[in-house]
Amino acid sequence: MINEVLLQFGQWMEAQQYSQMLVAGYYSYSWLEATHVLTLMVSIGSLFIIDFRMLGWILPNVSASTIAERLHKPMMIGFAIMFITGFLLVYAKPVETIQSLWFRIKMVLLVLAFINAWIFNARMKAADGNWDNDSVAPRNLRVGAILSLVLWCGVVTMGRYIPYDWVDCDKTQNSTILWAAGCVDQLKAL
Amino acid sequence: MFSTILSQYKTTLTVFLVLLVIVGLEVLQVRAAIYPSLLPAFEWLKNSTPLGYIGTTYGSIYATVQAMHLLAMGTLGGLVLTTDLRLLGVMFRSTPSEVISNGTHKAFKVALIVAVLTGIFCAAGVADKVYYMPVFWVKMLALAAGAAFVFLVKQPLLNSKPHSEINPWIIRGMAITSILVWFTVAASGRWIGFS
Repeated sequence: MINEVLLQFGQWMEAQQYSQMLVAGYYSYSWLEATHVLTLMVSIGSLFIIDFRMLGWILPNVSASTIAERLHKPMMIGFAIMFITGFLLVYAKPVETIQSLWFRIKMVLLVLAFINAWIFNARMKAADGNWDNDSVAPRNLRVGAILSLVLWCGVVTMGRYIPYDWVDCDKTQNSTILWAAGCVDQLKAL
Repeated sequence: MFSTILSQYKTTLTVFLVLLVIVGLEVLQVRAAIYPSLLPAFEWLKNSTPLGYIGTTYGSIYATVQAMHLLAMGTLGGLVLTTDLRLLGVMFRSTPSEVISNGTHKAFKVALIVAVLTGIFCAAGVADKVYYMPVFWVKMLALAAGAAFVFLVKQPLLNSKPHSEINPWIIRGMAITSILVWFTVAASGRWIGFS
């Protein structure tokens, strides 16, 4: 049911004039993709520095809260640009993207990464400030930092897999993969 | 007097000399003459090395290493921006710039090593293709320039004395140059994918 709804939504988006313009433009899609990837340096770059600091791998003599506070703004600006360009990339090729297994895994990992970030922030606010100048953060924050690193590595890796066609709807007959990727027509044909 | 200048500005003069040699090589068309002789090395990298074999045979490994390359470049970019924006006085103003530049340099080196190693693997799989791409050579030159700038100019100068004793315009110029060079490396790398 959900796959049918998503496919219909994708087909509706694909029929939009602006969606077709984004793909038809000689440079528009490439510029979007380049901006999406290059903004990694601001978003993931800032996030990883915060995580590395929590683990004591970097800048141990600067308080953890200073690192987190100062890098929060550039990180959020980076993520905002990534989400806007990411949405436009999906908007340009909606059916192809919605039926990509890697895109779906990426979205799940993204949600998990944001839940983790929310918990991490709440724990940081609740934590006793005495650790702030320690070279390593308390255990629960370190776990959050490792989870953040793992989840974002997964997000980037899945993003990199999207252009590859290993498990595209017309490349596999495995019903589980077809269901997970939302290949509605191919599932019916099985 | 000449020897005093030489000893005081050894690194600057070395960089200037290297730049002069590069311009000389270009003017005398030495680079153009060397360029064709590099093709066999690129063909060997793709056809006769394990890197080339894995890169062309196992798409999933190739894509995973590409992702690692992206992550390394993303981390490197974050470290460069953090350090250079501090040098420009935009971020971390309450923290001494020496602390930030020294504290990020080790991680910068690790990110650079990972980016270079994964980059060699990525290039090996498509070596005969990237050889003909001007943007690939732009990336290589920018990478060489970036590494030379960091290790021969920026770090030696930042470590030579307290930053307050260095002319602030030199520090700002260095930070802007660093951001521009590393952005060129990343942007040209992205453009390889479109070529």
